[in-house]
Amino acid sequence: MKYNKKTFALFVGPIVIAFLMVVIIPLLIGVYYSFTQWNGRMDQAPAFIGMSNYIAIIKDEGFRNAFIFTAKFTIVSVIFTNLIGFSLALLVTKKLKISNFMRTIFFMPNLIGGLILGFIWQFIFMGVFETIGDLTGLSFFQGWLSNATTGFWGLVIIMIWQMSGYLMIIYIAALQNIPKSLLEAAEIDGASGWAKTRHIIFPMVAPAFTISMFLTLANSFKLFDQNLSLTNGGPGGATEMLALNIYKTAYTFTNYGAAQAKAVVFFLLVASITMVQVYINKKKEVEM
Amino acid sequence: MKKYVKGMVLGGAMLLTACGGGTEEAKPVEKTVVDIFQFKVEIAEQFDELSQIYMESHPNIEINIETVGGGDDYGAALRAKMASGNEPAIFNVGGPQDVYDWQDKLVDLSDMDVAKKAFDGALSGATLDGKVYGIPFTQEGYGFIYNKEILKKAGIDPETITSYDSLEKAVKTIDSKKKELGLDAVFATAGKETWVTGLHFSNVALAQEFGSVFDAYNAKAVEFTYSEGMKKLFDLQIDYGRKPVNATDYSTQVERLFSMGKVAMTQQGNWAYGSIKGIDEELAGNIGFLPMPIVGAKENVLPVGIPMYWTVNNSATEAEQKAAKDFLNWIYTSETGKDYVINKFNFIPPYEGFDGENLQPKDPLAKDIMKFSKEGNTIPWVFMGYPTGWGMETLGVELQKYVDGQITWDEVLENAKASWAKSRK
Repeated sequence: MKYNKKTFALFVGPIVIAFLMVVIIPLLIGVYYSFTQWNGRMDQAPAFIGMSNYIAIIKDEGFRNAFIFTAKFTIVSVIFTNLIGFSLALLVTKKLKISNFMRTIFFMPNLIGGLILGFIWQFIFMGVFETIGDLTGLSFFQGWLSNATTGFWGLVIIMIWQMSGYLMIIYIAALQNIPKSLLEAAEIDGASGWAKTRHIIFPMVAPAFTISMFLTLANSFKLFDQNLSLTNGGPGGATEMLALNIYKTAYTFTNYGAAQAKAVVFFLLVASITMVQVYINKKKEVEM
Repeated sequence: MKKYVKGMVLGGAMLLTACGGGTEEAKPVEKTVVDIFQFKVEIAEQFDELSQIYMESHPNIEINIETVGGGDDYGAALRAKMASGNEPAIFNVGGPQDVYDWQDKLVDLSDMDVAKKAFDGALSGATLDGKVYGIPFTQEGYGFIYNKEILKKAGIDPETITSYDSLEKAVKTIDSKKKELGLDAVFATAGKETWVTGLHFSNVALAQEFGSVFDAYNAKAVEFTYSEGMKKLFDLQIDYGRKPVNATDYSTQVERLFSMGKVAMTQQGNWAYGSIKGIDEELAGNIGFLPMPIVGAKENVLPVGIPMYWTVNNSATEAEQKAAKDFLNWIYTSETGKDYVINKFNFIPPYEGFDGENLQPKDPLAKDIMKFSKEGNTIPWVFMGYPTGWGMETLGVELQKYVDGQITWDEVLENAKASWAKSRK
């Protein structure tokens, strides 16, 4: 079909309208609400209060703690998830008999929804660990999720458990795309296993690394359902992440305006961090 | 295919009757229709049965019941129902916020028989400016559920525990015999559940500070008048509670610890009876409530509250309002109604007139609530009057930090006071 304005409108129009309706317009309305005080009741109009919500964020200790916790969580989980995902990919691309079976197994946690996952692990940490602790007397297994440290590692563990299988798939695709000729040429030149990994495999999977980093970074930063079901921010608000903090501001304390202001800040944070990350990673990729 | 045809025929028949209805002569007796919009899913079926019985003896009344509740949001559904123009004659309110929201729709029910028969204080949650807007559904209560067998073995007479001092003494005695009694600890304390600490526990002190749920709702500040006694009772539950307290949730507390006989007592309500019975029926038959004593306040008390009220809509016609009131009266005063309330709904009615042998609650926790309530040893539930989110997300969370040793008791109270004042300014 020849390109003309009508077909262009026909194909792009519906998407543009949908995108406007469900993304752009709600975003703009949301930004407006962030300048208001509103309790969420449809029969009461939001009252415009200017920048007060944003000023309150600076003083909000809960939000600051949630930010620090989220940042720590993100750094740790990005490193471990990628490391483990990549190792699993190397493992299952070795020509072993059970490779396919292992791929399925490693990927499976990703098929379980976040809420369910949180409840399953809550049972493991609080039921199974506790029982092991009681039977063996090992203090390592006792009191999981009852303080900030075990709450933090609990969240990191389920994040790794869920995401590394997914990253493995991405890395497998990248590893299989490396031309055999390159590796063979390197072998003929006498490159050792590590030299091959360092100088051929790493640069060649760099695009996959960009994607994986982006996914884990954004997902860890925005983590909500596992946080809600595993610890619900407790104990004492010590494991409350940004998304959960915003959710509670809106739905528990019915401060919709303040929550919306937090959400705008949150959006800017996630957008800028991920953009910087993609920019840096892109520079390191090699073109074939 | 067969089913499909059957459906067609049925549908057609219904259509015909529906059309036919329009042309029929007006019925000899005009029926008064009472629409009920209620939230207690557990009794939906039994309530329907009861209304059938009522309609048989009152042929000119027609009762339609609609139930929305359980996992659904009754408040939102009620708003939608009201907005649709098809307003129910009878609906439910939960506490002061609801009464304020719906005040212009509510009929004063203080002249009703059941209102006069209600126990002291049972109406306070739905009374505003001296007008009674709600008729209580049932009572619920909580306190320290204790295992009679364990106390007996430890040589403690539960009847003697009527104050903080006697409770502390009993706890220490049990603690010293922990090994022979096979206990993990004296208490199972659900520190993970902020509703147990932030709402229910705090209510024991704050109910005595505020007096009623409406006073709490209107209070600009919380003082923690009984902070000393509150700290003592909280510390007792922590010091003699099974560790880690902050990782103990409802099911660990009730099912894994109390029902398995691993602890002697635990702070919970009569709703826990079902879970306990599900695990050990024998143990469940041998439990009761101990009071939650706050030093300096009334000590031998059980917090007993009304989770929900019946209300009558003033936009219904005079006849409908009267029929609605008659029906509500009938539920709680007629023999059939009373039988259903006790034996089918499993309610603990906060009304006089339930004295018959067959009109006693069957489970031991409900019996104890009746006992405390007849003796006047109850305090109200005021946590429905806390600022939104304050109980669970502020006080409950601060108490978790206290348990963890991060902050002192005074800091807990300061933070909670500041947050209360901020939401009520």
